[in-house]
Amino acid sequence: MGAFISCVAASCAGQLPQPGFTEVAYTTAADPVKAEPAKAEPMGAEKVVTYNKDIAPIIYQNCSSCHRAGEVAPFTLLSYADAKKRAKQIALVTENRVMPPWKADEGAEKFADAHLLSMDEIARIRQWAATGAPEGNKADLPPAPKFAQGWQNGEPDAVFQPTEAYNLAAEGDDVYRCYVIPTDYTQDRYVSAMEVRPGNRAVVHHVIAYLDTSGKAREKDAADPGPGYTSFGGIGVTPAGSLGGWAPGLVPRLAAAGEGILLPKGSDIVLQVHYHKSGKPETDLTKIGVYFTKGAVDKRIRSMMVLNPLLRIPAGDANYTTSAQRTVRDDITVLSVTPHMHLLGKDMEVSAKLPDGDEKKLVHINDWDFNWQMIYGLKKPMKLPAGSQVNLTARYDNSTDNVLNPTNPPRTVTWGEQTTDEMCIAFLFYTVDSEHLTKGETAVKENGGIGGGALAGVSPALRQMAVRLFDKDGDGKLNEEERQAALDWWRKNGTPAAPNN
Amino acid sequence: MSSFYKRFFVLTALILNVGGFAHSAPLPFKTTVTDIAGKTLRLPQPAHKATVLVFLAHDCPISNAYAPEITRIATDYAKHGVSVVLAYAESDFDAAGARKHARAYGYKMPAVLDDKYKLSHTVGATVTPEAVVYSPTGTLLYRGRIDNRFANYGKKRAQPSQRDLRAALDAIVAGRPVPTPTTTAVGCFIPEKAN
Repeated sequence: MGAFISCVAASCAGQLPQPGFTEVAYTTAADPVKAEPAKAEPMGAEKVVTYNKDIAPIIYQNCSSCHRAGEVAPFTLLSYADAKKRAKQIALVTENRVMPPWKADEGAEKFADAHLLSMDEIARIRQWAATGAPEGNKADLPPAPKFAQGWQNGEPDAVFQPTEAYNLAAEGDDVYRCYVIPTDYTQDRYVSAMEVRPGNRAVVHHVIAYLDTSGKAREKDAADPGPGYTSFGGIGVTPAGSLGGWAPGLVPRLAAAGEGILLPKGSDIVLQVHYHKSGKPETDLTKIGVYFTKGAVDKRIRSMMVLNPLLRIPAGDANYTTSAQRTVRDDITVLSVTPHMHLLGKDMEVSAKLPDGDEKKLVHINDWDFNWQMIYGLKKPMKLPAGSQVNLTARYDNSTDNVLNPTNPPRTVTWGEQTTDEMCIAFLFYTVDSEHLTKGETAVKENGGIGGGALAGVSPALRQMAVRLFDKDGDGKLNEEERQAALDWWRKNGTPAAPNN
Repeated sequence: MSSFYKRFFVLTALILNVGGFAHSAPLPFKTTVTDIAGKTLRLPQPAHKATVLVFLAHDCPISNAYAPEITRIATDYAKHGVSVVLAYAESDFDAAGARKHARAYGYKMPAVLDDKYKLSHTVGATVTPEAVVYSPTGTLLYRGRIDNRFANYGKKRAQPSQRDLRAALDAIVAGRPVPTPTTTAVGCFIPEKAN
């Protein structure tokens, strides 16, 4: 999600179409019908937990989509032999909630692609492993899950890939490689879905497809030897948008009819691939398939950010808390929410306070993991009337007890793109209820794409303070230069008596 | 039994349990195996100052990620008379698969297939990757992690802050006692029974 971020850090307001500049393909209109997980029976002491009856349904539902041949997981979980061999491992990682990788505290009742085990399911796995992982009665085994091979939505309308494969070393830091792929379309187009096909699933961890219309990504590519260029947080240039992304477990879905993501004419797709190194030299050639909208597009899928770029996490602070707010200007429909922090992040809660005082929870991540940058797609899109306030609260651990802390001894950490910097953002993907492109009615109010620039996500009080201190030309608002000065000052000096920090 | 005697027994057990290993390796460890190249291999290697058994699994991403460091340790300590032997602790695997994996990951040292987990269970290895170090006479000198890069599953330090296997080998090579003879390895469990 870094490019949205680079935009924030670079204070790129005014360079982008309004409102909103970033879109995502993961909408939630059509969730494939999934088998309901087996209802838990009360566990009596005498009950024997078997693979066929109790464990296979849990594994089929929550593990097999990634743990199968050709997918991202390192081994398969499709048979009794697969599961028995790893019974103890499975019991431990489910108990710790390391697997399945689902970090929100709510599951399938709310989100698409949710893989959240119930306490009862975890207990059943634990009991099964502890009692010798029995197979049970063959007749109890449910039918094996069926997975579509290849493209999940059929043959795409267009496939894009880098011109050559990338060679990755056996070990070392993770690599964020950006491949610049021209589209050469002479007209704007709308995208319904994008699907990523990782070339080498042993090393591809997650992928984001950004859009660049400035030509600057091409320059970076030309300046860096080998295919693409390396850039950690964002793509190092201000993006014109995004087609979405992929992380293990996320299923690409077509947007609802009449909705799409703008692919501006002449855009370059900048495919940022996050690689883990595997222990041996590897080669990757990842490609994406694009599905254009069918029929007229009535609404653009847009994004807003709720963020606090003024965070300042003291060295050694194991529980730094910060927050951000943003008021919605139109009646909107939220499709998904994507929290983003780096390695010090502990938890994040995003909720909305409606004008009538009603509180709606969007997502709560209580065990943030940088490795699982999930897009939490709402099964039932959430309506937020104009005037609703979206609130974000996040906590960080910048002590030595945080084993992921990349800086030892810890130092004060502020906003930035490097692994050693931090971020505090929730991206919301939404449509504007009043927008009807088919009737020529375009949403014009600013709902927080990037219109307010780097300070857009901060509280009104803090923004007023910024204007008071940094409005050099006296026009009552901050231009890009002034905003950058404010941001730099705050990052360096911290926020004085900040109501938002 | 009176509490005095209970205490006496516990105390005796502690004294006899030198280094904490007596319960799992009461006798000197000594075996002869055929490696994946078909050669006969004596474990521990009698002509080496120490033999390091490194347990791994071809589909365990944590043990795979350690391949370059395992090779570096083998190279760095070979000149000090330390031998590194790989042990594939896998029931659904064969010597051909192990040879292919070893080639892909650049392993040059001898490797054995522990498909019944006999070796793992004998020496007390419970996860991959885990290192078990023996003297030439079969005395257990170290058992545990290679380093602390992985604090837990998915929790990987940017750099390890403790390189326990290297510290153990440094001590052995220098003729000093191993500072921490047991550590807990993080990785993929070796099953307690063969399938």
